[in-house]
Amino acid sequence: MTGMAYSVWLPLFALFYVAVMLYWVRVATNEASAGDGFFSAGHALSPWISALFIAGASMSGWFVLGGSQQIAVQGFQMPALIVGGVLLALPGTLFFKRLWFVAERMRVSSQAEIFRVYYHSPFLVVVSVLVALLFALGFAGLQIRAIADFVELLTGGVVTRLTASVVLGFILFAGAGIGGMRAIGYFGVIQTVLAFTGIVVLSGFALIWSGGFAALNAGLLQLSATEGSAGLFTVDRVIRFTSGLGRGGELAEANTALANLSFAFALMGFQASPLVMKLVLSTRSPNGIAAGQTWVTAGFFGAIIAFCIALTGAAGLANRDLALTGLLGALQAGSPWFAAWIFIGIAAGVQLLAGLALFVAGEGLIRHIYRPYFHSRLSKERAVTLTRIAIAVLAVLAMLMENLTPVTLSALAALSLPLAFQLWTPLLGITWLPWITRSAAVTGVGFGIAGVILTEPFGYQVLSFFGLELPWGRWPWTIHSALWGMAANVAAVLIISAITNRDACGSEAKEIRKLFSGLLATSAKARTLRSTAWSVVLAWFFLAVGPGLIFGNWAFIAAGEDGPVWLLGMPSIWAWGLGAWVSGLGLIWFLSYKMEMASPVHVAIPPYEPPPRLKKDKAALEQERLRILVLTGAAGFALAVLIAFSFGG
Amino acid sequence: MSKPAMVERDLLVFSIWAVLGFGGLALILEGFSRDSYFVSLAGTAAIVTGFVAHIVVNALFDTGFRPGEAALGISAFGALALAFIGGWAVGGLSPTDYWSGLTLFAVLAFGLPAYLSTRYGLRGAFSRFHVRHADDGKPVA
Repeated sequence: MTGMAYSVWLPLFALFYVAVMLYWVRVATNEASAGDGFFSAGHALSPWISALFIAGASMSGWFVLGGSQQIAVQGFQMPALIVGGVLLALPGTLFFKRLWFVAERMRVSSQAEIFRVYYHSPFLVVVSVLVALLFALGFAGLQIRAIADFVELLTGGVVTRLTASVVLGFILFAGAGIGGMRAIGYFGVIQTVLAFTGIVVLSGFALIWSGGFAALNAGLLQLSATEGSAGLFTVDRVIRFTSGLGRGGELAEANTALANLSFAFALMGFQASPLVMKLVLSTRSPNGIAAGQTWVTAGFFGAIIAFCIALTGAAGLANRDLALTGLLGALQAGSPWFAAWIFIGIAAGVQLLAGLALFVAGEGLIRHIYRPYFHSRLSKERAVTLTRIAIAVLAVLAMLMENLTPVTLSALAALSLPLAFQLWTPLLGITWLPWITRSAAVTGVGFGIAGVILTEPFGYQVLSFFGLELPWGRWPWTIHSALWGMAANVAAVLIISAITNRDACGSEAKEIRKLFSGLLATSAKARTLRSTAWSVVLAWFFLAVGPGLIFGNWAFIAAGEDGPVWLLGMPSIWAWGLGAWVSGLGLIWFLSYKMEMASPVHVAIPPYEPPPRLKKDKAALEQERLRILVLTGAAGFALAVLIAFSFGG
Repeated sequence: MSKPAMVERDLLVFSIWAVLGFGGLALILEGFSRDSYFVSLAGTAAIVTGFVAHIVVNALFDTGFRPGEAALGISAFGALALAFIGGWAVGGLSPTDYWSGLTLFAVLAFGLPAYLSTRYGLRGAFSRFHVRHADDGKPVA
């Protein structure tokens, strides 16, 4: 076969992908013309569409790009990755059902709006939008950069990274900007299917080229016997009191049980983010949540992570030539049709997340910040147009950052998951813990954000710019910023909730509490299982992602004559992770169905009728707000320049 | 069929072909490239599975192939047949490639009447092609 014939497959498959996407954009816009639906698909997405999409977006391309690479480089030091499916599903199990009913009762369609009606807090609204922006620019941007790199690799440099990222940006805008939420939802199903197929086929090739499962593990066993490599297959200890990466701590030392636990918390930030909430609240019924979280996300996609992603990573660990880049390069040389198919799958996974993130960020900027605080008379049509413009601007910004400022991109990406995890406390306040007051939730999130930023490169680099050097680096004591932030967050929430009035809340919040204590109250049977549920959850966390991982180091290893023997024919910690995934699946099932946290409910929820209020003309106030914003921005900028000029550099 | 149901059915059909159609194509090409009849056969099996899954989805939604789908299927079949005949004419096919292609076309060609007879029954399948002149208004003899 000629070189031309080899290089034609990727553009051909990409063309099909774009054609299919445009078809669904057309379907979505045709449906929208009959009625509203740009922002929330008319709340009419099928439960199975949402379940599949949520699973695909939760996994995104990150697990194959980042997860398999991490295993290929650092081995099985972070077994929390293997139970990623369970960790990703857990927040949805807790929150989705109740938040769906809140949205249904209050007739809202996004996380920011829920915060506004429940807490009346502009701060939480802004944080929700900021998290969406971080996902759009940082988290998704970093993945698109990686995808653009692969395009350059697969086309032998004919298509440069810059060109690839520009094309990917246009495709993203076409999908999210034109079609809106409906197009994102529809095409998301196909993207998810493509992504899962790509990952499965890729791991199949990794397995075949490694010589089969036994040969792969023989290679890993050989590697573990070499000097200095045993640590690749163990969790080092519970905690290591280092000052953090970049301040004396090294990456290789960050393989403790607490590193795993705190990383697990970061993963649990994704389904608390405004991105996934948008999807949930665009669904027509909550009755698919339990099945989606249990069988699709934790079960099916959990299996893909535990087996396929781990396998692809393990192949790269045993043989450096089979790391993701080498694997795709070899495929392109031998079977370009498979390389193109797999690549389109991985790219679809990334685009799935990136499109949703861009859409939610654009919507947040216009519908949740600009419209309510600066231009309340903005019509729905103009809001749609402005959102499209915002999405286009964000897509261009992301593309520029991907190519010009990769370090900033990386620093921003690192903030997205831990910051999203900080939204757990206000979400818990709405859904399960009504004693969390407005002040507590707001202060808690503020402290949480500070905790995250101060233990991430973004924070200490910004402070360093202003002349203030922090004595610690990234993730001090090998604890991920998500946990540092949450420690500060929870401390503030507990203290402030204890000293503030719990009954001082708006009529909407009272209405929501009434809904949960009345119509949606947990049954007596589930209430009797509460202590069991707590015990099971704590035990699972301890053993699967916490200090109990130390047992996993040696649980399936026996002493042989020629050295250690892997009893299950695979690294003990991997087997431990697989066991944790299976038990975690049981845990999600138990919480979803037996504890009724996500189980189907067949009740009709009438819309909330707020007490009649006089509508005031806010035009003058909004003008004033805009003026204050501009002045504050200008003063802040001047002050920042002055401080940097005086102390930093 | 309602519009949401039609959208859901189309999503399932697209998903099926995204996996089994492209997978089958890739396997057939791999078989041609490696000169392996069994790999090509796996590709043919994937495409047949795609058809079966498509028919199952149609049955679930109580519908048949849409005109666009039929046109796309026939066009794809024609393009593949043309490429195969072209390859054979210029002598670029090995015996394995030749048998792989013949298997694919035989299966697809056999598949059409098989599908029609399962959907419409043997007599009904024949009626899909047989034009009855009585339809122009004259009484049937």
